[in-house]
Amino acid sequence: MKFVFRAFTLTALLLLALPMAANAQQTCPIKLGGILPITGSLASIGKPISDAAQMAVDDINKAGGIKGCQVEFILRDDQTQTPVALDAAKFLIEVQRVPAIIGPVPSAAAIPMASTFAVQSKVVLSTCCATSPTLTTLAQEGKSGGYFFRTLPTTKTQAYSLARIAIEAGYRRTSVVWANNDNGRFTFSDFQKAFEKLGGKVAADASFNENQPSYRAEVQKALGGNPDSVLFIAFPQDGATVVREWLQLGGTQNMLVINGLRSEEFIKAVGPRFLQKMIGYDVAQVKGPSVDAFNAAWNTKFGRAPATPGLHSTYDSVMVVALAMQLAKEVNGTEIRDNMRKALTLNGEVVFPGSDGFKKASDLIKAGKAIRYVGATGPLQYDQYGDVSAPTMQWKIDADGKIVEGGTRTLDQVQELFKQVDG
Amino acid sequence: MIGELSYLIFFLIFVSIFAIAVLGLNLQWGFTGQFNAGVVGFFAVGAYAMAILTGPTQPRLPDQAFQVSGIGLPFALGLLGAIGVSAAIAYVIGLVTVRLRHDYLAITTFGIAIVIHLVTINFESLTAGTLGFVGIPRPLASTFATPFAHNVAYLAMMFAITGAVFWGLERIVRSPWGRVLKAVREDDVAAIAVGKNADRYRLEAFVIGCALMGLAGALYAAYIGSISPFDFLPIMTFQIWTMMIVGGSGNNRGALLGALVVWGLWTSSGALVSQVVPAKFQAQGGAIQVILIGLVLVGTLLFRPRGLIGEEPKVSRYVD
Repeated sequence: MKFVFRAFTLTALLLLALPMAANAQQTCPIKLGGILPITGSLASIGKPISDAAQMAVDDINKAGGIKGCQVEFILRDDQTQTPVALDAAKFLIEVQRVPAIIGPVPSAAAIPMASTFAVQSKVVLSTCCATSPTLTTLAQEGKSGGYFFRTLPTTKTQAYSLARIAIEAGYRRTSVVWANNDNGRFTFSDFQKAFEKLGGKVAADASFNENQPSYRAEVQKALGGNPDSVLFIAFPQDGATVVREWLQLGGTQNMLVINGLRSEEFIKAVGPRFLQKMIGYDVAQVKGPSVDAFNAAWNTKFGRAPATPGLHSTYDSVMVVALAMQLAKEVNGTEIRDNMRKALTLNGEVVFPGSDGFKKASDLIKAGKAIRYVGATGPLQYDQYGDVSAPTMQWKIDADGKIVEGGTRTLDQVQELFKQVDG
Repeated sequence: MIGELSYLIFFLIFVSIFAIAVLGLNLQWGFTGQFNAGVVGFFAVGAYAMAILTGPTQPRLPDQAFQVSGIGLPFALGLLGAIGVSAAIAYVIGLVTVRLRHDYLAITTFGIAIVIHLVTINFESLTAGTLGFVGIPRPLASTFATPFAHNVAYLAMMFAITGAVFWGLERIVRSPWGRVLKAVREDDVAAIAVGKNADRYRLEAFVIGCALMGLAGALYAAYIGSISPFDFLPIMTFQIWTMMIVGGSGNNRGALLGALVVWGLWTSSGALVSQVVPAKFQAQGGAIQVILIGLVLVGTLLFRPRGLIGEEPKVSRYVD
C-alpha cells in the first residue's frame, strides 16, 4: 500500500509541476488551445486540419500577433477518443488557462465539451467540423451559453438543398442510402422531411455501418421501393463500394450525392462514365478571391492542393477567434464570445485570409473601423446559435471525370428554402 | 493553483472510473484466467443503462416508431440498474461462452463488444443512436453551487465506490471461493478432479467482472452527462487491459495503481508533447505521444513482466 501511495503522490506532483513552468506569465504570449484528432480513426483528415490551424496561427504571428503579443497555439491530440479529448480540454482550460479552444472534430466530443466545460469555465469553442444539430439544440436551450461556434454549416443546409435539387431534377421517388453516423442520420431525416414537404416521397431508405467490405443487402433494400432516383450519403471509400454495388444490381444512374463524395478518389473508383447523370451538392463558399488566396498560400506552404475536408473551415475558425481577441477589450472567453460576430460585421471593410489580411484587420481595428472577415470558406455569418449558414451549389461530372460547378443558390435563397420547409 | 487542483480532481475521477473496470477485468483475467476482449462492450452497456434509466426524453426523429427514454429514475436506482443489466447480459453471454478458453474466448468477447457497439448505433429507439444520448442528469451537480464543488463531491463519491469495490474484491479473492478461481486459472482439470465445478466458478467471476465494468460505464455517463456510441471504441478495451498488465494482474492494488499510472501517462504525455515539441511540428506531435505510450508498455513487459506490483504468492492470510 505504501508503494501505491508513493507512486500516487509522485504522479500527482509531476502533473502539478509540469504545467506550472509554462504558466508563469499571463499577458504574453496569448494562448490558444487546440484539440484535434492527429492520430486515431480521424487522423487522415485531422492531420491536415492541424496544419491549417497552425498555418493560421503563423499568419497571425507574422502580422504582429494580437495586441502586440505573439500567439502560442497549444495543440493537443485527442486520438479520436472522447475521454482523451475531454481530459485535454480540462487541462487546457484549468491548467493552461486558454480563453478559446479550436476543435474538437467529432460531435461526440463536442457535445459534452460545449454543454459542460465551455459554459462552466467561460471558454469559447470554435470548431471546424462538428456538424450535429444536437449542438444547435443545446444552444437553443441555453446549455452552451453561446460559447460554441462552428464554421461548417449543419447537416440541415445540406439536406434541404438536396431535396430541392431532387425536385428540380424532376425526381419524385428517391431512395436514400446513408452511412449510419451523426452526419448521415441527420441528413437523411432532414432530407426526408424537406423532400416530402416539397412534393416528393422517399421510396426506400437503407442505412449502413461504415467500413464494411460490401453493402449488397442495404442496396437491395434501397432498390426495393422502385425508386426513380437515389441519394447517397457517404464518404469516399464506402461511397465507392456502395455506388458500384448499386449500379451492378441495376440501380438507376439518377444519383444525388453529398459534398463528402466530391472527391477524385470516389469518381475514379466508380468510373466517370457511370456518373454522367449524377448531381452533387456542396457549400458554394468554396470559390471567390479570398478562397483563391488561401488555396495559393496553402499550395506554396505544403506543395499540394488543400483537398481534404475541413481545411478551409479550420483556418477560418482560428482566424475569427483571433480577430475577436483583437477586437476584445481584454482577452478572455466571454469577451471573445461577444466579439466573434463583430469580426464579421456585414457592412465592415472586407479583409481576407493571410498575414496581410490580418495586418490590415488589426490596423482597421486600431483605427476603430468595423471589419468584415471574408475567409478561406468565403463570406460567413454566425446565427444566434453559433451556426453558420452558407450559399450552396451543385456540381456534375463531365466526360473526362472533371468536376463542373453550377447552380448556385444564394444565402437568401437558402434561407427561403428553410422557411418553406420549416414553415 | 485552484486550476491545477481542479484538473487533478477531474483526472482522478477518470482514474477511479477506469480503476473499477480494471478491477473487474482483474477478477476475470488476473484471478480466473478468462481472456475478456470485450471490456468496452460491458462499459457501454452500463453507460447506456444509466442514460436510459435516469435520462430525459430524447428527441424522436420522424421515422422512429417509439423512443424509450424519459424514465427519469434517481441516480442510485440507475446505478443498480446498470449493474443489474450488465450482469444479466454477462450471464447470458457467460452461459454460452463458459466452456471457451483463451483466444477462443477473446475472439468471442471481442465480437460481442462489436455487436453491442452496433446495437448502440442502430437501436435508436433505445439508445438514440448516432445522435448521442444527451442531458443525462449529473448527480450532485445541482446540490453544489460551483462546478468545482461538484467535482470534489463526485470524486469523494468515486473514492467511496472504488474503495468499496476494492474492499469487497479483496475479501472474496482471499476467501475459499477466490482460491478456487486461482485453481481454475492454473489447472482447471485438477480443480475439477478435486470436485470443484470449474464452469460455475468461471461464470460467477465473469458475471461479477462484467457487472463492475458496467458500473464503471454508468459512473462515466453520469459524470459526463452525454454519451455517444463513438465514445466506446475498441481502444478502450486495450487501455483497460494495459492498466491491468502494467499494474500487475492478479493483484487488486496493482489494478488501482495501473489505472493511475497508465491514464496518467496517456494524458500527461499529450501535455508534455504539446509543451516540448516546437510549434512547427505540433501536427506531427501526436505520433510521438503514441510512441511514448508504446515504449512504456513494451518496457513494462520487458523489465517488469509481472507488472509494477505482481501477484502475491500467498493465497491466504492463514498461510505463512
